[in-house]
Amino acid sequence: MATREVISTGNELSALAARDAGCRFFGGYPITPSSEVMHEMSDLMPEVGGTCIQMEDEIAGVAAAIGAGMAGVRTMTATSGPGISLKAENLGLAQMAEVPLVVVNVMRGGPSTGLPTRVSQGDVAQAKNPSHGDYKSITLCAGSLAECYTETVRAFNLADRFMQPVFVLLDETIGHMHGKAMLPTEEEVANGIVPRKSFDGAPEDYRPYACEHDQPAVLNPMFKGYRYHFTGLHHDAKGFPTEEIETCRKLIQRLEDKVELHKDEIELNEEFFVDDAEILIIAYGSVSLAAKEAIRHLRAEGIKAGLFRPITLWPSPQDRMRELGAKIPKVLVVELNIGQYRDEVQRSTGRLDIDGLFKVNGRPISPYEIVNKVKEL
Amino acid sequence: MARNLMRFTGVGGQGVLLAGEIFAAAKIKSGGEGLKTATYTSQVRGGPTVVDITLDDEEIFYPYANDGEIDFMLSVAQVSYNSFKSGVTPGGTIVVDPNLVHPTDEDRKTWKIHEIPIITIAKEEVGNVITQSVVALAIANTMQNAIDRQVLVDTMLSKVPAKVHAANLKAYELGEKYAKEALAK
Repeated sequence: MATREVISTGNELSALAARDAGCRFFGGYPITPSSEVMHEMSDLMPEVGGTCIQMEDEIAGVAAAIGAGMAGVRTMTATSGPGISLKAENLGLAQMAEVPLVVVNVMRGGPSTGLPTRVSQGDVAQAKNPSHGDYKSITLCAGSLAECYTETVRAFNLADRFMQPVFVLLDETIGHMHGKAMLPTEEEVANGIVPRKSFDGAPEDYRPYACEHDQPAVLNPMFKGYRYHFTGLHHDAKGFPTEEIETCRKLIQRLEDKVELHKDEIELNEEFFVDDAEILIIAYGSVSLAAKEAIRHLRAEGIKAGLFRPITLWPSPQDRMRELGAKIPKVLVVELNIGQYRDEVQRSTGRLDIDGLFKVNGRPISPYEIVNKVKEL
Repeated sequence: MARNLMRFTGVGGQGVLLAGEIFAAAKIKSGGEGLKTATYTSQVRGGPTVVDITLDDEEIFYPYANDGEIDFMLSVAQVSYNSFKSGVTPGGTIVVDPNLVHPTDEDRKTWKIHEIPIITIAKEEVGNVITQSVVALAIANTMQNAIDRQVLVDTMLSKVPAKVHAANLKAYELGEKYAKEALAK
């Protein structure tokens, strides 16, 4: 695989990835610590004939991005937790109407306006269910500068495959850190783009929501001769509102199953010194960097620690976590919240004795804190 | 080379971020690994800002400097100096601007403290206060010998507009001169 070396920040790499993955619309409203994604998109989009628009607020930002998605364009917004709270209603609409969209969330301290410039992973639970109702979130989480790029690329391809919003979670540390990233070439990324499906039969036969029980809607771009109705209400094959019992049930079950039954296309993890591990650390995002450094120290002292790092947080890698949980006696979840992902690890492993090292004061968890915690176990 | 940890501290708006980016980029261009992280407050200007620079030949995972392991700190604001000095390893080097930062007698026993009027050099000798980050860069590299001088200067020049190349080169040379004088004392 050909690679290129880029020196940049996580936020800027996410924007670069969007451009290379064919994104041609960004709608948003800048918010710390995600603003550089939008700054960069405002430079990149005009260069490739795309559009970057700063709307009047967060809600309008995602609404514009969804509109571009309906028009058939690869589209993105970027924000932080408070912005996701505002965008939640429209994110639900995109889930229901099946509009592909990439949402980058550079996490900062919460709740509410919280700690604007400080690191956090407090939006992990929010990413699973940002709006009301049943659907399956797809949430990816970058654990290195290179992954800020590769996971954003992957998010665009997954959004078009599953026809729904896909979250890319960064955190303040990884969004702002500045260093080297080895990236796939632009050509390789371009070759990997799989455009969303479209219907090319007679317009009168077009039924965007009449799909298999585990497949996403086939939405042709608006204004190209294929008419359908767009709504957040339960809808029929042509998109018109309905309360017909079986249609309603099948629709929501399909939103679940299109992801749940194809998890293998979405799941991605990293295992670091797991094979002989007697202590398993589970961490993601920037915290996994501290965990790797901690494992270096622990291994040097003869303590067999390893790291399991989910890159796809939702749907969670529950089968692999169950296997590891059945084999490794001590499991420690390290995260910058009070156990949002530990809940999922407990559920997946069926073990309530999963330990946690948590921090919620806006400061990073250092490798030494992890080393000390592991020694206490 | 073992790991080199440097910390630049000031207040928001002083431009301490750029020096860190230049260091990291120069190390990467030399074939090594470099990471810069910045921590700042939500105050637009005036809040304590800290930039951590990690340089290594091996892969760097954790991007922040661990407290107690920092070899070199440079500070141009008292509030930041007070907040972050404890991260410097005992016997390590601290450079302060004596017009802005006043270390205690205890501090002088704990660390090698050098006083260099960084802001005044930039403002009066270079003639452009913005060049203070390059003065700081030169001081740090002269004292730490972290990166090949030419690679660092070339990287620095690639990150500033062409019309201010001469001023920044002058800032680098002055920083280097003052650092050598401070070391000779």
